[in-house]
Amino acid sequence: MATKTIRVDLMARVEGEGALDLAIQDGKVTRAQLRIFEPPRLFEALLRGRAYSETPDIVARICGICPIAYQMGAVHAIEQAFGMSVNGALRDLRRLIYCGEWIESHALHVVMLHAPDFLGYPDAIRMAADHGERVKAGLALKKTGNEILRVLGGREVHPVNVKVGGFYRLPERADLARLAGDLERARGHAQDLLEWASGFAFPDFERDYEFVALRHPQEYPINAGRIVSSRGLDLAIEDFHDEFEERQVEHSTALQAVLKRRGSYLVGPLARYSLNFDRLPPQVQALARQAGLGAVCRNPFKSILVRAVEMVYACEEALRLIASYVPPAAASLPVTVRAGVGQGCTEAPRGICHHRYEIDADGAIVSARIVPPTSQNQLSIEEDLAEVAARNLDLPDDALRDRCEQTIRNYDPCISCSAHFLKLSVRRA
Amino acid sequence: MAPARRSEVLVIGVGNPDRADDGIGPLVARRLSERHSNGARVVVCSGDVLGLIDDWAGAAVAILIDAAALLSQPGVVHRVDLQSDALPCELSRPSTHAFGIAEAVALARALGRLPERVIVYAVECACFDAGGAMTAAVAAVADELAAHIAAEIKTMQHPDEARHA
Repeated sequence: MATKTIRVDLMARVEGEGALDLAIQDGKVTRAQLRIFEPPRLFEALLRGRAYSETPDIVARICGICPIAYQMGAVHAIEQAFGMSVNGALRDLRRLIYCGEWIESHALHVVMLHAPDFLGYPDAIRMAADHGERVKAGLALKKTGNEILRVLGGREVHPVNVKVGGFYRLPERADLARLAGDLERARGHAQDLLEWASGFAFPDFERDYEFVALRHPQEYPINAGRIVSSRGLDLAIEDFHDEFEERQVEHSTALQAVLKRRGSYLVGPLARYSLNFDRLPPQVQALARQAGLGAVCRNPFKSILVRAVEMVYACEEALRLIASYVPPAAASLPVTVRAGVGQGCTEAPRGICHHRYEIDADGAIVSARIVPPTSQNQLSIEEDLAEVAARNLDLPDDALRDRCEQTIRNYDPCISCSAHFLKLSVRRA
Repeated sequence: MAPARRSEVLVIGVGNPDRADDGIGPLVARRLSERHSNGARVVVCSGDVLGLIDDWAGAAVAILIDAAALLSQPGVVHRVDLQSDALPCELSRPSTHAFGIAEAVALARALGRLPERVIVYAVECACFDAGGAMTAAVAAVADELAAHIAAEIKTMQHPDEARHA
């Protein structure tokens, strides 16, 4: 029996290092494994014994693209353990800095990492020669997102201004006014990019995912809500570990999260959008429909459209938050340390990010558990790959490999968050 | 940051001052702006290198100072003039989500935003520990490199004086 192997030593345009093993026997896909061999980063162990106040700055280092997601999950969890909650203008500022993270992260993925797949370019640099204005728009959006992080977080990568109870320092009104001007232009860029991406050719592919996302009574979910799913799950964030579990698999140094009762599920833009379309402002819903999206999107290749919709939304929401901003009396609330357990869950650009901390009476971290989005999507990625490969076995090996890489990039996987990524081998027997 | 004015000389110190030797770019930039920038605009880039593309739009000359991987000894300075030389990949650090200077230069060139002249000073470094002290041999080059760049800027701006000096 002839065996064929296709190998990609390092996959481009994803974060981190790992490999994909695809085994094909007698015309059927028999194995699709996402092998993550990035050494474990041990952040949870690193946190043990550290002061609660150090936590936001330590967990920010988990990711250079989505540090706010980690900071917010941590401060929410610790505040819950201390019996406090941050509301009003301070909560709005937290939502504003989170909008900045969505804008910079989605802009990077939509234009620099994902769009080249649809237009047949190996990378954004080669694409820029023919689509320069779109790349400039993406860069401008990313810069605006970064600037929000800098103004509110002190710096654009690994911000240092987020603390339990609020912020170390409040932003100046003049800085927010300047951001508003940038955001007006950024919103226009985001709309242009959505229109541009809506013209891409998308593979005819849908899967019946169990979507999991936050849902809030009024807001499109970013920093608060209950955990809901498309198959009836409706949980307080404190009950996350009752329904979900992380398990070790032999081929990955990152834990894989599954629903205890049903297995794989999907978090991220597709899930968030499909479970919360009614929470988007009417004008954003209209733009989504103009781009060809319905209220639910089950085609992972169209995640690029959903990210573009979310960029428009994040710009609009940031503008709304700035327009309604009234400075709070203090940059942070007083903190009373007590022993306890707290949990926090927010919507990182790539999906829900859950944190649980046990804290002692002196405010030291006794235990920490962080479940990042890419860990939760690993099994879904493998299932997508198996099905995409099965439907495209007639493609030449190079084309099949490209399609598989694109399938993985649909997720904008952040392997450095989940443990890093990618070497691809296809074995045909 | 406002875009650079056309014909401006823009000096950018790239790096994170909180990561030991990675702060050499910002340190040289600070020395230059404190003492003798000769009219050049001096900025620091501690975060997203892609943001540089906007910053240097319209500038005639961009001079970048960055930390480089260790090839021989800490503190050894490489000067790469992109008019005549390519940026050696040994000096750049590969990344996926975070783009490096080589990618930023290539992208700016494709977008027509690359200054007419880009000069990169890459300083070989030994330590990138968070919160670590800068290696003495790396810190030692800051003053001399700042003075050298100041002289280079002066020559660019007043070529006649330099010829008759």
